[in-house]
Amino acid sequence: MKMKKFIALGMAGMLSAATLVGCDKGGSTGTVTPDPGTPSGGEEGGDATVAAEDIIDFTMFASMEGSELNPGNEIQEIIAQKTGVRVKETWLSGQTAEEAVGSIIASGDLPDFIDGGNGMTDLYSAGLLVPWDEYLEKYPNLKEMYTDVEWDTFRQSDGKIYWANVFNNTYGEPRPTGHNDEAFWIQVRVLEEYGYPEIKTMDEYFDILEKYYNDHPSFTDPTGADVPIIPYTVQAKDWLYFGLENPPQFLDGYPNDGSVIVEKGTGKVIDYNTTPTAEAYFKKLNEAWNKGLIDSEFATQDHETYIQKLSKGQVLGMVDQNWDFNYDVQPALKTAGLDALGCEYVPLGLTIDGKRDNRWHTYGDTLNSSSGCAVTTSCEDPDRAFKFLSDILEQDIHDLRYWGIKDVDYLVDEDGLYYRTQEMRDKQNDPQYKASHMCPYSYMPQWLGTSRDGKNAMQPQEQGSEFRSGLSEPLAKCFEAYGCDGYPDFIGSIVEVNEPWFPMWSYSNELKPTHPSDDPDGQWAEGDDWPAGIAWQKMGDVKHEWLPKVVMAKDFDSEWGKYMDAYNACKPQDFLDDMQREVNARIEAAK
Amino acid sequence: MSINKKNDEFALNYGATHGGESDLTADEIKRLKRMAKKNTKRMDAGGWAFVIINTIFLVVFTVITLYPILNTVAYSFNDGLDALRGGIYLLPRKISFESYKTVFNMHGFLVGAKITVFRTLLGTLTSLIANALLAFVISRRRFLFRSSLSLFWVITMYVNGGMVPVMVLYKYLGLTGSFWVYVVPGMISAFNVMVLRTYMEDLPDELEESAQLDGAGYLTIFLRIISPLCKPVYATIALFVAVWQWNSWFDAMLYNRLKPEYTTLQYELMKLLSSVSKQGGNAGTSATQAAASTQVTTVSVRSAASVVTMVPIICVYPFLQRYFVTGLTIGGVKG
Amino acid sequence: MAYENDQNVNIEESESNQASNASAGTGSGASNVARKNDYYEKSLKKSKKLSKGELKRQAVLLILGGIFVVYGLVFYYLPLLGWVMAFQNFKTKKNFWESISKSKFVGLGKFKFLFQLGTLKESFEETHNIFKSIKAWIDQADFIRTIRNTFGMGALNLVSSTVMAILFAILLNEVKNKYGKKFVQTVSYLPHFLSWIIVTGILRDVLSSTGIVNDILRLFHIVDDSYNFFMHPLWFWPIVALSNIWKETGWNAIIYLAAITAIDPCLYEAAEIDGAGRLNKIRYITLPGIAPTIIILLVMNIGNVLNAGFEVQYLLGNGLVQKVSQTIDIYVLQWGIGKGDFSLGTAAGIFKSVVAIALIAISNTIAKKSGQSGLF
Repeated sequence: MKMKKFIALGMAGMLSAATLVGCDKGGSTGTVTPDPGTPSGGEEGGDATVAAEDIIDFTMFASMEGSELNPGNEIQEIIAQKTGVRVKETWLSGQTAEEAVGSIIASGDLPDFIDGGNGMTDLYSAGLLVPWDEYLEKYPNLKEMYTDVEWDTFRQSDGKIYWANVFNNTYGEPRPTGHNDEAFWIQVRVLEEYGYPEIKTMDEYFDILEKYYNDHPSFTDPTGADVPIIPYTVQAKDWLYFGLENPPQFLDGYPNDGSVIVEKGTGKVIDYNTTPTAEAYFKKLNEAWNKGLIDSEFATQDHETYIQKLSKGQVLGMVDQNWDFNYDVQPALKTAGLDALGCEYVPLGLTIDGKRDNRWHTYGDTLNSSSGCAVTTSCEDPDRAFKFLSDILEQDIHDLRYWGIKDVDYLVDEDGLYYRTQEMRDKQNDPQYKASHMCPYSYMPQWLGTSRDGKNAMQPQEQGSEFRSGLSEPLAKCFEAYGCDGYPDFIGSIVEVNEPWFPMWSYSNELKPTHPSDDPDGQWAEGDDWPAGIAWQKMGDVKHEWLPKVVMAKDFDSEWGKYMDAYNACKPQDFLDDMQREVNARIEAAK
Repeated sequence: MSINKKNDEFALNYGATHGGESDLTADEIKRLKRMAKKNTKRMDAGGWAFVIINTIFLVVFTVITLYPILNTVAYSFNDGLDALRGGIYLLPRKISFESYKTVFNMHGFLVGAKITVFRTLLGTLTSLIANALLAFVISRRRFLFRSSLSLFWVITMYVNGGMVPVMVLYKYLGLTGSFWVYVVPGMISAFNVMVLRTYMEDLPDELEESAQLDGAGYLTIFLRIISPLCKPVYATIALFVAVWQWNSWFDAMLYNRLKPEYTTLQYELMKLLSSVSKQGGNAGTSATQAAASTQVTTVSVRSAASVVTMVPIICVYPFLQRYFVTGLTIGGVKG
Repeated sequence: MAYENDQNVNIEESESNQASNASAGTGSGASNVARKNDYYEKSLKKSKKLSKGELKRQAVLLILGGIFVVYGLVFYYLPLLGWVMAFQNFKTKKNFWESISKSKFVGLGKFKFLFQLGTLKESFEETHNIFKSIKAWIDQADFIRTIRNTFGMGALNLVSSTVMAILFAILLNEVKNKYGKKFVQTVSYLPHFLSWIIVTGILRDVLSSTGIVNDILRLFHIVDDSYNFFMHPLWFWPIVALSNIWKETGWNAIIYLAAITAIDPCLYEAAEIDGAGRLNKIRYITLPGIAPTIIILLVMNIGNVLNAGFEVQYLLGNGLVQKVSQTIDIYVLQWGIGKGDFSLGTAAGIFKSVVAIALIAISNTIAKKSGQSGLF
């Protein structure tokens, strides 16, 4: 009897706890009521809808952090009725991408669709992916994504295609308004304060940050809070430390090959970690650190802390890839009203001497054939999966994914151009609305560039009118002052055709400590040490440890010497030799 | 019962060595007690010093333990942006409930709460039954395979096949992608079995013996005789398991990656921490609401979520607390 | 048992021996134990005969035991078959059996990769100084470094948390005010209920530039600007140990408090009569009284020293402190799972299991040799 009572008590305790947790549920579901019953889908495409019982659910895992859609997401339901497929997306969380893909392979717990990032070749060699070849012929929408030559770069050792990269792919006329790559970013209010000066070198960059910081150690945000200013920050953790690690290649005027510089013309591999430019760059950072211009927590901050600092308008400048921060930071700045204060960022294309051409911006599509969207062997109906991938490239569904529902998320003017009202734009910045309404399937095949109607952009951020009317006043003034039409104009990179080996990071990403398979030429056997892979791993470890140390050093020169000793102990030459071999192979293949 | 016996025993022993005679008269005891009192008085200075130092130690200890928790609560109720300036200690400076709104507005968080409550209840119940039964079997002195069975389980505490085979096994058993992965694999813990066994072994054998004479089988003995006496230790183990269940997230991540409907509270907390920044820090629906709620920050939302996840499990604790001191013994003396 | 060495109290030798024979769970009153042993021996003799009735009675135990063995075999012993992977270059095929049977055997190759004995040998031949070469070995072989870190943090945690728990239990026991005692004890449990995710979050707040620790340091002008604790390798182990102490001291102390309450109050009275002060009472009565509990917990936890680290280190680590923060479990996750070398991960796991078994066997033997009851 007493035992029962005690268990009952325990349960009561927990249940009361549960109600405590659950009590707000009513309130939250009240905000958005998904109503799949009355979709406006019918009038859009005009095609028949699929009955609810015939809709099949697929799962998708993308090895990137992202936000899950709410169950019953409105546009997801419309797409499901049109295509007969609903995809439940899950994202990376709590693990690194590599660990997540590793455990998926190990356990065999596969989703139907996967974007495994750097783990694609592992998935392929484990025989877990379904080849695209047959379906490419069957579904022209998929075939259309790339030219035959481009498709060939996706072919694996058995000659088949197992995935397609979904990003950076332009349909029709390109509409480059954004700079999605790396840059030294700076808040427009800093430029505005000193009359939009021209900034070409790191010296000029840090001078203006210092000046602004001395004039304004803190600022008052729209809510009246007094927010301290951080002149410069950069991430130093995990793979996102590229903003600290790789600027020397850009400062020397080279494009983002990621792991090495490849000399133009000769195709010679150069290690950007040890160039005089690298030393000068870190010396400059060190100088800024000792002046107190660099975030004291930069070396240990998490990505979310970093994003938060940016979102609150605290940080004047940093080096980062646009995609790594701006999709989160810009909406946050807008909702907080910080855009009106000039807290948004514009990119700068700095070089070491300010005199050479820069290649911070990559014109044209960067084809990264090392990763993409794939269908796995545990998908019970691969044909339907591929059909779905093809269906969502249809213009009406593509519009639904990126523009939303007509008259709800965008309007059409008399010329047939899509536009949004301010209220619609605000909604697009609201994560709650996005989770319950918008369904971009953002890691599945998609287009940039111009829509099939020849007028609109495939994705709203590239719509010229949207781009301009979306600009806040300080940002628009800044565009005008520098005479820029889009972000790439701020950088002013030279326009040229990419080299045949570009980008080299698609190779270095695949390096492993041991060879995953036998060499066709018999130079190594499966499971042998791969010196390049070991060196690459160790170089990464050393850089993660020493770069922050070098920046924070009291005596830069001696610290730099110690770093170089530690670096050279990793045998970087093993890595460089292998990269050289790959460059030669790529040049050869392109002939 | 055994305590009294023991006391007598030691008293006798003491008497035998010190008094020289085994039975003390009432007078003598009185005399000894008076002496003891005097002794304590004599040591007052040293005693006071001890009390003061002890008190200081415990006060410092309590403050250090309590402060971070109270500080978290203060942060969770403070305006996020305002908190960036620092200087918040025990009380919020600018009160705001936005962080809590953000937490409760997250769909996954509510699903996680439901699953976590469910796994905690079911997991604790099944685990308690399984561990108690196993401990019961191992603690029967006449059981043939007593020592081999207990060695069999002790080994599992230290040897394991590693992550990969375990993941493969769960996939084969159909545990991956299901709720049962939270309940079935971790049902038995050798450590808990040890604690239970120790307790059961210390129960007087006469109870079992007399029941046997009455014709009771082992199951009856377990249900009617052993279990009622084991209440304190059951409470302790239940709390052990409940806390572990409540705080689990690794299994949710590893085995239910593709099943957001089986997410857990702590895993959602984990996700929240890595995504709150991506949410742009707001969860409102209208533009004005959104603008108002940008006053949440990573720190404030994390604090609110932490408070939400820690309050329920702390609430369970008082119900079980009174059993603790008698329930938790291992390998040694027990009362 | 432990009272043997005590000068104030004298228990008959024979009785105490009997007590320690009884089982791990010795101790309900000496006489009780003696009687129990009598009964035990008698029943043992009885069971040796294994009368039919007894067998029938034990059937239920056998069935239950059988179920638990099957469960244990499936969930704990079956995965051990996976150890084969450590001697292969394991590659995942469509299903596990196919993968195991088709993967290439590489003998001890994975272990060689882990231990990098070549590095040790090379540097010894170069320097002829065993310490220098071990240092070079730790510097260059990642796995060796993670072993050092795991052992280091594991041992530091074990010692510091045990000492703190005992100290706390003893001091709390000395508090005479009932309400104060209850309050302190209740507060001390609280952190145990928090997950490591929350605790590391709290730790970051407390140690951040706007946290209280830096505020205090600034107040006393120990530092001018805020000090970033997570940046310095020297601080990492102590931070992990301190967070363990913070989280678990109160909880770990429960078991010692239980042991203390079981000590016969007469012993204290007797000691008082002899004029023993509080410190002496702690030294001569309390500590020996809880010694068996301390020993058995130590024995048990020493086997777990290598398990002493995953979550905290995973959540708190960063590039600057990676050399001291990475533990074996993190290594397994990063290289074994992350780099897809499952064989390497398994090899590291085998090493861990072997060391754990060795440690526990050694500590158990030492405990038994020194007159305490061991774990098995």
